[in-house]
Amino acid sequence: MPDIPAPARGGLAIGAPEPLRADPHAVQWAPLRRAAVARAAPSAHARAVARLGSRTPENTTNLVLVLGRARDPHGGLWIRARLPARRAQTGWLPRSALGGYEEVHTRLVVDRARLTLTLLRNGRAVFRAPVGIGRAATPTPAGAFYVRDRLTRYASPFYGPVAFGTSAQSATLTDWPAGGYVGIHGTDQPGLVPGRISHGCIRLRNADIARLARLLPVGTPLEIR
Amino acid sequence: MSDRQLTRASLMRGGAALAAGGVALATWPLTTASAPSAKQDAEILRFALTVEDLQAAFYADAIKRAALKGELLEFAQTVGGHERAHAAHIRDLLGASAPKPRRFDFADTNADAKRFGATAIQIEEVGLAAYNGAATSLTSEALADASRIVSVEARHVSWIRDIVGETPAPRAADRPISAKEAQAALARTGFLR
Amino acid sequence: MERDLRLDDIDRDGAIADALGTMHGHTRADLLRGALVGGGALLAACAAPASASAASSRARDASILNFALTLEELQAAFYTEVERNRVLRGELKRQADTVGGHERAHVRAFRDVLGSKAIKRPHFDFGGATEGSDAFRRTAVAFEDLAVAAYKGQAPHIRSRAYLASALAIHSVEARHAAWIRRLAGKPPVAGPFDEPVSRPAATRIVARTHFVVRRTSRKGPRFTG
Repeated sequence: MPDIPAPARGGLAIGAPEPLRADPHAVQWAPLRRAAVARAAPSAHARAVARLGSRTPENTTNLVLVLGRARDPHGGLWIRARLPARRAQTGWLPRSALGGYEEVHTRLVVDRARLTLTLLRNGRAVFRAPVGIGRAATPTPAGAFYVRDRLTRYASPFYGPVAFGTSAQSATLTDWPAGGYVGIHGTDQPGLVPGRISHGCIRLRNADIARLARLLPVGTPLEIR
Repeated sequence: MSDRQLTRASLMRGGAALAAGGVALATWPLTTASAPSAKQDAEILRFALTVEDLQAAFYADAIKRAALKGELLEFAQTVGGHERAHAAHIRDLLGASAPKPRRFDFADTNADAKRFGATAIQIEEVGLAAYNGAATSLTSEALADASRIVSVEARHVSWIRDIVGETPAPRAADRPISAKEAQAALARTGFLR
Repeated sequence: MERDLRLDDIDRDGAIADALGTMHGHTRADLLRGALVGGGALLAACAAPASASAASSRARDASILNFALTLEELQAAFYTEVERNRVLRGELKRQADTVGGHERAHVRAFRDVLGSKAIKRPHFDFGGATEGSDAFRRTAVAFEDLAVAAYKGQAPHIRSRAYLASALAIHSVEARHAAWIRRLAGKPPVAGPFDEPVSRPAATRIVARTHFVVRRTSRKGPRFTG
């Protein structure tokens, strides 16, 4: 009988394998590595539908939601993406224009009739707050958008402690510093919330947006009804 | 941490939240059973050699029996060659203290391709688990050398499991066995005369 | 066209070196300054004195565990993403789903033991390797063979017998993975009687050349808020 010491007990507790649960709430997004033209079909010859810069108007990295993928006849990989738009727009971008994928499990819903903003995580509401939205002349647009960036640079009383840029383009100018896009931000006039008060942006009371900021990742899809 | 059972042992280990069985960095596991030594290395290598000799002889017997075709035959030929190379390497390391190969009796195990496959899985799994069990007792040098064989044994067992339709990697971490358990498992095969 | 593994590039932005921790206690800055030329300090760091202090043993083992964690994060993210992208079918899908489950369990085990000392989860850009079965196969073969070689390279340096036992238990599973994906890729599951180790710097360089590990913050460019 060999006089060999018994095996050592492992120092790591390696448990059972971890299968991925199917996740209907998972949404992928990707940053733009460079400026790119989004096309109507997965082909370099398809009609251009939009030009995307690698930066947002707030000078942060631009990003798109990933909705699907396909190959062109040469084997090139194309991504179907949700684009910044006035209502809802998708287009095809070459994979090489995009960086690494990130995943979110959250969804933001703004109800313009009820003047509420709700954040859902894995399908369940985890946050709700009253909002101020655009006046009739400068409405907050309805459609399918997404949260593009989170900014604390705009720590001015008008915007509150933290602000989020979205991909929602307004037909009219907004209060958003770069103009034309719907932002989600705080306010120095909390008494006006809820209400139809802005030039298109979505305003929350400061305590609410501070709370939201702890729960809302960039890339979260945004539905404005 | 709230959803984990804190055992008394883990509480005594102190510090970080751990699943039962993990050892925190804060409480340093300085365990050494018996200290590694050249003498112990030789003991372990001699045992490993008996396993390699058994495996090499098993594959040689399987090929001789001519019950194997296609990828099963390719497997037996390739892996048999590896086991012979392993045995030769260990003999080289042991020098004069290397035991001669013993005789093995495989009876009619290899007359049937299916039995060959099941047996190959068995002896490869035992060999791998025995290597993993003994490896932590080796000196650093011997460990560095032996580990070059261990992963090849793992590839062997993965390959044959895949061929016969078993999942190649059933667990996230392979379980080691003691030399005693390995010896007993091999004795149960009846191959050791 | 998705990017292939670029074998001629180097880790230009230091993301890999950062993610994989310092090499032998020296920083990437030291490396660039040529501080390691002549190597007295490096030799001292590589040497294994008979009576290393418990504190330095603990620190070195923690560094090795973090190195292993980075490789596991890389693999786990790769397999998770390919499964989420739903591009694989049949045997290849079964391999990816199973192996992904193992790598995720490995990540959890390393994070549990390292606690606050664990490296931050890196960000990845797999550049198409998780979006087609051919690219997936090629990349998976490279990853698994690399993991086997890297664990093999580190094993003799692990001071704690307990951590060594765990590293070996994972090392042989990675070898099972490697043989499995190689067979699915039409390659020999086992190339020869001996597998060779790869050193930590060499493994770091190999990973760096893939450009799969990316930086998310850039001091020069716009502030990335993701």
